[in-house]
Amino acid sequence: MRRYKFYCCILISVVIVFGYVGKLCAQDIRLTATVDQNILTLGDQLRLTLTIHGTQDTAPPSFPVIEGFTLLYGPSISAQTRNVNGVVSVSKGYTYVLQPAAKGKFTIGPSTVEFEGKMYSSQPVTVEVVDKSRSSDPQAPDLEKLVFVELSVDKNEAYVNEQIILSFKFYFQKGLPVSDINYSEPTTKSFMEEKLGDQRQYEEIREGVLYNVLELRTALFPMMSGELAISSAKLKCNLIVSQRRGRNTSSDSYFSDAFFDDFFGREQKRYPIERATNAIALSIKPLPEEGKPKDFKGAVGSFDMEVSTKTQRLKVGDPITLSMSVYGEGNIQTIQEPALVINKEDDFKVYPAESTTQITNREELLRGRKVFSKVIEPLKPDLKFTPAIVFSFFDPRAGQYKTITKEPIPITIEAGEQELPIQLTLSHDKPALAKRQVQLLMEDILPPMTNLASLRNQGNPVYRNPFVMGCLLIPAVAVIASFMLTRHKERLTSDVGYARTRRAHAVAKKRLNGALSVLHQHRQGEFYSCLSKAISDYLADKFNIPPASATEDKVIVLLQQRGVKDDIVEEVSRSLTDFDRRRFSKDSGTWDEMEHSLKRAEELITKMERQLS
Amino acid sequence: MKICIVIPLFFLYSLFLWGTQVAHGELSKSEMSRDEAVKLFADANEKYLQAIKLIASKNLPEADHKLKEATEQYETILTGGFKNGHIYYNLGNTYYRRGELGKAIVNYRRAARFIPRSVDLSANLRLAKDSTEDKELSTEIPAIVKRIFFWLFFLNQNELSLVAISLYVLLMVVLFFSNVCKYGGIKRIFIGISSVLFIVVVSLGLKIYLERGVNHGVIIASKCEVRYGPGEEYEPKFEIHNGAECVIEDEKNDWYRVYVKVGVKLGAGSEARAGEKTGNEVRSGWLQKKYVDTI
Repeated sequence: MRRYKFYCCILISVVIVFGYVGKLCAQDIRLTATVDQNILTLGDQLRLTLTIHGTQDTAPPSFPVIEGFTLLYGPSISAQTRNVNGVVSVSKGYTYVLQPAAKGKFTIGPSTVEFEGKMYSSQPVTVEVVDKSRSSDPQAPDLEKLVFVELSVDKNEAYVNEQIILSFKFYFQKGLPVSDINYSEPTTKSFMEEKLGDQRQYEEIREGVLYNVLELRTALFPMMSGELAISSAKLKCNLIVSQRRGRNTSSDSYFSDAFFDDFFGREQKRYPIERATNAIALSIKPLPEEGKPKDFKGAVGSFDMEVSTKTQRLKVGDPITLSMSVYGEGNIQTIQEPALVINKEDDFKVYPAESTTQITNREELLRGRKVFSKVIEPLKPDLKFTPAIVFSFFDPRAGQYKTITKEPIPITIEAGEQELPIQLTLSHDKPALAKRQVQLLMEDILPPMTNLASLRNQGNPVYRNPFVMGCLLIPAVAVIASFMLTRHKERLTSDVGYARTRRAHAVAKKRLNGALSVLHQHRQGEFYSCLSKAISDYLADKFNIPPASATEDKVIVLLQQRGVKDDIVEEVSRSLTDFDRRRFSKDSGTWDEMEHSLKRAEELITKMERQLS
Repeated sequence: MKICIVIPLFFLYSLFLWGTQVAHGELSKSEMSRDEAVKLFADANEKYLQAIKLIASKNLPEADHKLKEATEQYETILTGGFKNGHIYYNLGNTYYRRGELGKAIVNYRRAARFIPRSVDLSANLRLAKDSTEDKELSTEIPAIVKRIFFWLFFLNQNELSLVAISLYVLLMVVLFFSNVCKYGGIKRIFIGISSVLFIVVVSLGLKIYLERGVNHGVIIASKCEVRYGPGEEYEPKFEIHNGAECVIEDEKNDWYRVYVKVGVKLGAGSEARAGEKTGNEVRSGWLQKKYVDTI
């Protein structure tokens, strides 16, 4: 049993190994020659790599004929096996380090290798040796050669709505660490655009130098004719270059080998790089008028069409769903539905189509499928076929319009079941045979509105009505007034000073009335005392001071502080002095003089009220 | 303290009404008296009814003539500054009879601003919308929203204004009594009324914005190409048909930039089944002003 297991393991291993080798043998064999730089100075070293792709089981390739260089050491051999998405690729590299011996342009001749009786040769590589570095910094790499970008289109002349592939390529020399890539897309105004697949990554040899390439592709569809432009694309990134740590003197040459670099470490320098491509001009032609089919609705590309229906046996009035699938290359999103060829308008009732779009391929070109589901209803029982379906498009490769016609699909239509009449009352004669439903005979709009009484102009906003404006103003005024009144009452009860000030004028008037009655009783001394008290108490109330302290001097000062006019102040002073003098004097004056004094006191209090309120 | 609430409230409300009045600047004073309008309205209704009889008796040319006359009379009332929901409704009916679905829908929509509770109007509008080719082009507000904010759709602008003014007056009366007689529970009444007033004022502002701030339009041509840009030189993007409703975003010369909601099926083409509508997509583009009538 154990022996069987052993044989099984051996067998499986053999199958795997031979399968793997067989897979490798199926690969294309090729030999490439690449250099790390194609312009160098006499002091530089050139690394030449000969790589055999597709196998690792060959003899070393022949060393090419190289003029102007001497071989320092090599080859160092490296083998590489890569498995990308199940696709295995192998390669073997032979690297030689060369030293330039003279200035000038030299060609590294082709190298050859033999594999299974076939000879494979590499392409020649041209290298230029110059006197000294063009850069001011001898350690700075030639960035222009290390990193560059390209923007290209697959055609410079196209028709309106024709697919154009725009390709942006970012080249950077193999092995260079690039970071912080920031890509600014070109402006494609007047185009519809659709991204094609993911970013592509591959290697490419340019002038003998091996580059890594990142490629972004976009499908463009011009929306108008004329000379259209695609602006330049921009790319920013940081290039990380390892350099020796500032050991440039000749004495350092002893330490300038890889061992000391590894020991001391190498300085990593970031070079910010900004690259821009050229702008692209495109000539967009309008679609030709000649030969344009009547049913053409703007589709440009290469398309085909499939038509199907689920049911072919139905009754009058039953719907058939025609599934019309248009697929191919082009702007699939904007394709309009194919046309139905209906001979008589009353044969079919046609409903608007609904559509779904699916992009099936975004790798090389934009390909897709748009399915239109169109519902039609046969209106006559003698119809034998669905309508023919026609789809026209412009093929830019052929430069002409093409029309796809799908023949009518045979159908069998039976007469519809007889509908039961509306029965509003139950018939006792016949038993109810089937469930009956009220059928809508005809759908129509409801009658007009004819009520004239309700016809009024509804266009005037309600707030234009003066009554409404009054409703807004009057309550607000009433509320504010009630609030102020309440507050006034509250202050009269709680604030003595406020109450005295507010009531001073009324109290003074009462006192003057009292003086008048005293006058009528011919009590002259008391009359002037009343007048004097009326004025001094009025001022005591106004200034909220005790009546006893309202002396002439004090009230004069207070009046002046309150900014009362000087003539009024003087009159107050004069009146108070006059009244006091007459109070105690035997000569209290005539009746007229006393009346005049009363009037003067009244006027004086009124004037002060105006000034102090 | 209360005065601090009342005065800003009053000023805000006045400012709001002033704003709405400015927004209604185009509503000039009616040049037509009510009597004239009633006479024309009755006459136009009579012609419409005669046209219906003529249609029943298959005398279509004469019916069309009568409908045209009725249309002109309704239009005369409206251009005379006399606006009424019933006139717009009847005008919509005449356009519907004449086969101009776009104009019928425009007038039904205008009528809905004045008579939002009319069942007849809703039925006719639904029928007109169902008759359009682009049924899926819809700007209808979802039923759930209509139920939650029922007052917005139940009352027209003037009715909502009246409710707001009544609540304002009530609030002022409450404040007045709270000043005069000090009753503790009045504070709660004040908060309750002022909250309702706030909701009504916001609703009124929203209604005015929806009716005046957002320009809705209806396609009145049988077919209309929506282009990528404002000019014939731009390629057509898609087609919409008579009666389709759109929202106008911008204008440039003789062109409107509009967007429409289009029903789309989601998923791969092969998986989608006919009639299976699973989502909405907003598409925008430019179309000529002459193809659109604004609501």
